[in-house]
Amino acid sequence: MDCDSGHRRIVRVSSKKRNNGEVNVNRSCRNSTASVNEEEEIDPYTRRRKESLKNNACDICIKVMLLGDSGVGKTCILMRFRDGLFLCGNFISTVGVDFRTKVVSVDNTKVKLQIWDTAGQERFRSVTHAYYRDAHALLLLYDVTNKTSFDNIRAWLGEIREYAQDDVVIMLLGNKADCGSERAVKREEGERLAREYSVAFMETSAKSGQNVELAFVAVARELKYRQNGQRDCNKFNVQDYVREQTQKSHCPPCTT
Amino acid sequence: MSSNVELEPGVTPESGLVTTDSFDNLGQMGSSLEEIKSASAVSQSQESNESNSHYDEFDESPNCMETTAKEDADLEEYKEWANKKNHVFVLSLAGKPIYSRHGNEDKLAWLFGVMQTLVSFVQSNDDCITSIQAGDTVFIFLVKRPLIMVAVSKTQDCIYQLISQLNYVFNQITSMLTLTRLNRIYEQRQNYDLRRLLSGVERLIDHLLDFSEMEPSFFLGAVQCLSLATSIRDSISSTIVSACSKIKNLVFAILLADNKLITLVRMKKYYLHPADLHLIFNLVQASESLKNSESWTPLCLPHFDPSGFLYGHVSYLSEDCQACLLLLTVERDIFFTLSEAKQRIVEKLRRGNCLQAINESLNAKEDTCANAGFTELRHYLYKCKSTAQFYQPSLSPPYVLSKQRLIDLYKRAYQRLHCTTRPLKLLFERSSDEVILAWDTKGFELYIIFEPLIDTTSAISLVTKLLNWIKKKEERLFHLTSPTFLK
Repeated sequence: MDCDSGHRRIVRVSSKKRNNGEVNVNRSCRNSTASVNEEEEIDPYTRRRKESLKNNACDICIKVMLLGDSGVGKTCILMRFRDGLFLCGNFISTVGVDFRTKVVSVDNTKVKLQIWDTAGQERFRSVTHAYYRDAHALLLLYDVTNKTSFDNIRAWLGEIREYAQDDVVIMLLGNKADCGSERAVKREEGERLAREYSVAFMETSAKSGQNVELAFVAVARELKYRQNGQRDCNKFNVQDYVREQTQKSHCPPCTT
Repeated sequence: MSSNVELEPGVTPESGLVTTDSFDNLGQMGSSLEEIKSASAVSQSQESNESNSHYDEFDESPNCMETTAKEDADLEEYKEWANKKNHVFVLSLAGKPIYSRHGNEDKLAWLFGVMQTLVSFVQSNDDCITSIQAGDTVFIFLVKRPLIMVAVSKTQDCIYQLISQLNYVFNQITSMLTLTRLNRIYEQRQNYDLRRLLSGVERLIDHLLDFSEMEPSFFLGAVQCLSLATSIRDSISSTIVSACSKIKNLVFAILLADNKLITLVRMKKYYLHPADLHLIFNLVQASESLKNSESWTPLCLPHFDPSGFLYGHVSYLSEDCQACLLLLTVERDIFFTLSEAKQRIVEKLRRGNCLQAINESLNAKEDTCANAGFTELRHYLYKCKSTAQFYQPSLSPPYVLSKQRLIDLYKRAYQRLHCTTRPLKLLFERSSDEVILAWDTKGFELYIIFEPLIDTTSAISLVTKLLNWIKKKEERLFHLTSPTFLK
């Protein structure tokens, strides 16, 4: 019995590895070959994640998680994105994880974003970890007026590496960019860190709305290209895209 | 007064709420998350370190801050702080500040040091400090390992009520971390700064303290239900039961609105303690973030099981019906299952016009005494002991603008009935402002405020009339059934 189950486990692990390799290859040529059979052996998490990507109500359904220290503005970014509102003054503290959805359209494709807004506090980590594995994209926030929140980004990236899927899209966001003189983290510092970990980066402001839409649309776009793989997907790169877009249109006329 | 009390409105053979007068015993319910998990044959190894911590020595000396009263502004601030009527402090056994109701804990480090010294000094003689009375100020100490809770009060609140308040604060902290984790933290590091784990919880505690001072439910140890026709309440309950019939390990489903309970569905064998329900009410009221989304949150109910978390799917029914639904389970990762169940519940409730009924009840408010035909009554509280539920009418003048005064009247009356030295069965007290009658029977407690000029005989006949009125309406005012999930 023991021997048997052990054997089975080994087989499963190896099949999973093979699949992972295959997925990577597939990205460039998925359109032509339907590799359904192989996929059945993927572990349940990966399968669920893949299935959800092909949600039928919309063309694509992707799961986005907002991460970062408590008080960096995760909920505010989300409120700005979803409802176009900015909640000034009162501090709303998230309890556990909050779940919201919004549909955006990317090049005539409807993309449904399922957004997990997590509580930054340490005591909620065990709950949030459970949902890392499902995520297709992670928006990792720090507060440009709060150096500690920036210093903790490395720890967050460590957690991400431990709990999230390898191919997850990560975007680093320096929030509260409207702060003016209170700034404690330079834009270049954020850029440098992002380069070091090769993740996309931009500065945002939930208050002015700067780059908020762009952050979500960029991950949606990236995942859409990965999903379809029709156009040469190597050509699309979030980091380049973000760079282009942020240079094109700078902060809308809004400050104070 | 005639003591024939066969009339006990709101009595029901079974209640989903535990009824108990002794509030402070943790773990008395003996329900356990483990039991629920194992009962449904889900064997998951879960940590359950129950070892108790021992603190005999405190080598850590509290770091005193210099109190240089350098500026007038500081002094003003200090005076204002010192004049607050009620202070609550939480510290670790090692004297580390954790929470202060007013002011900044860091600036008060010296004071926490004094408190810790007092506690440990008395402890060194194998004794335990409970309270100090100094003029009109009372200092209450409650040592609940691994924390020390202190209340300093200039209000007329009795010691029992202050202790109960401190217990609530302790339970609020436990509900965020679990007692097991709390103990483990301090076993590993006696001088741990718990604020690290409690960031954000201070607002919950603030709210809880304000809440507990203004709501009769806290000192009564009961909850109020939203008035609803029986048929509606039953159909809400059965909707929840049927929508969740296939979900394993769902322990409680709680629907509440405006600080009132609409329904409570529970797993067979398990009951909810009113004090746990108060923590849930507090969480829902104090958390703005729950309003616009579905949340998934860990929550420990200290009276239910202080050692582990339940996981809650928390959401408001819909934009047009601000009732909050909590589905509490022992499973950590069934958010989507519960999310779908919630959708089913809302759809079915909408079709059955239940959402509308809830809204109507929310908008209509309760009757005032005068509306119900009791012109000589100003306000009353009726608590049914066996169901741990109570009813109160809407506020009417002169208390609309001075609710605090009304609550204080009730608290004092409650204290007279429940003080340990000389508890009363019946209290009738006349002052120039009002007459208060408080009556404690086997089945219920009744507190009534009359107009000041009412004579005794008509007061007594009004009591009977009122009990009859409540009896007639009991099905609307109370949650008389105790629905359970299908096994």
